[in-house]
Amino acid sequence: MKITFIAADGTETAVDAAEGESIMRAAVRNDVDGIIGECGGSMMCATCHCYVDEAWADATGQQEDGESDLLDCAASEVRPTSRLSCQIRMSAELEGVVIHLPESQL
Amino acid sequence: MLDHRLAPLDDTISIDDLTVAPYPIYRRLRAEAPVLRVKSVGRTFLTKAEDCKYVKDTPEIFSSNDPNTPMKRAFLAHTLMRKDGPEHMAERMAMAPALMPKTIQEVWAPLYRQFVDEYLDRLPKGEVVDLHVLLSEPIAARILAHILGIPEATDAQMSFWSQALIDGAGNFGWRPDLFEISDRANAEMDAMLARAVERVRAQPDRSALSVMVNSENPIAMSQIVANIKIAIGGGINEPRDALSTIIYGFLTEPEQLEETRRTGKWGQAFEEGVRWVAPIQASSRLVLEDVEIRGFRIPKGDTVMTIQASANHDEDLFDHPERFDVFRTKNPHQSFGSGPHHCGGAHIARRTVGAIMLEALFERFPNMTLPDPQAVLWRGFGFRGPINLPVKLG
Repeated sequence: MKITFIAADGTETAVDAAEGESIMRAAVRNDVDGIIGECGGSMMCATCHCYVDEAWADATGQQEDGESDLLDCAASEVRPTSRLSCQIRMSAELEGVVIHLPESQL
Repeated sequence: MLDHRLAPLDDTISIDDLTVAPYPIYRRLRAEAPVLRVKSVGRTFLTKAEDCKYVKDTPEIFSSNDPNTPMKRAFLAHTLMRKDGPEHMAERMAMAPALMPKTIQEVWAPLYRQFVDEYLDRLPKGEVVDLHVLLSEPIAARILAHILGIPEATDAQMSFWSQALIDGAGNFGWRPDLFEISDRANAEMDAMLARAVERVRAQPDRSALSVMVNSENPIAMSQIVANIKIAIGGGINEPRDALSTIIYGFLTEPEQLEETRRTGKWGQAFEEGVRWVAPIQASSRLVLEDVEIRGFRIPKGDTVMTIQASANHDEDLFDHPERFDVFRTKNPHQSFGSGPHHCGGAHIARRTVGAIMLEALFERFPNMTLPDPQAVLWRGFGFRGPINLPVKLG
């Protein structure tokens, strides 16, 4: 399944992800700069902050419980489309999803 | 099918060796025996980055609740550091608001800047001074006292309590004298906390104590007290050792300092310092079910040790890992751990030591030198850093 990451400077990177894999995990596995995911998806570190492309906002769904508290901690600006990418799992509806990356995670 | 081979057993590596010079040992283990039962420590060492990360990210199998450590005795309580699952999460979240970036930005960072000015002001120019003792330790104690909600504690008290708890929690020989010292520290902390609880009840603030005490749905007072203590025990030596390590790195690699000054990459320098010599070098996890790592059977009931120090030097991930190199392109270190116990102080450390102290220090003393790098002594197996840092300020 394809995910396209668009960095803050506009650079696009497309990666392959497995069904059920989190977007954070796919980014880290493929060495995508701009996602750190230091806590491994435990919703502790807020270093996998991303902006879901508006066209995909419905498909990725709502923030999980506790996610917004952590997003408050994100280093970059939090927008309505902000998510922790560790909380979005790949499924058929997300084939080709577009994810924008923030300026910084630390 | 599970291979029934147990990991090899080593009876040559001593705790003294690991305390004085662990890195050459870890380099050998990564190459020859990345899963190794070390008799002197009574733990199975994991020295590869991939294995350390796997253990931390798999708390269902690798529990933090290891009853066979002296920690409970030292703290006279079971702290969040050694709990799992929802119980751990509830206690962690109770304290979390005080440690989060929003609070740091609004409260702790401005306060820290003020302390940096004060503590740098009192350092004498032109003399050789021990920066570890005069700066790294006391400023770590000062900001922590405020963050936790006990600003009335002196730097010396904070340092004594912290060391007493660390020595007690690491008292695997169960020596009574060390527990007598930790008991004394506990009595002092209990007395101070009793007063501080009344104060934050009357005048709430953004501190960890206040946030926990004034929560709509507070955790038990015994746990509030226990978790303030774990933060005292675990919140001074890491930022202290990180700061001293980074200063040492810069003073022995002056061209890196020059380039960091030019580019302003102080945050990157912080990450590299904590990678290079991880302040917390190793962590224990109790194995809840038989599991296999690199073809070796790790039986239920065993205790594994993830060696972050070694993960951070793993040749699979890092070129010239033994060198302090601020400008390495990737730095996926594990110094703050991973998984549910990911360091609660990570944001604070990054936004104080990393974002404020380093630049301020080298701006104030641009010609600082380390007259004799050999005079700096490094110690520690579980926790590691320089124990002195004689620099000439200029």
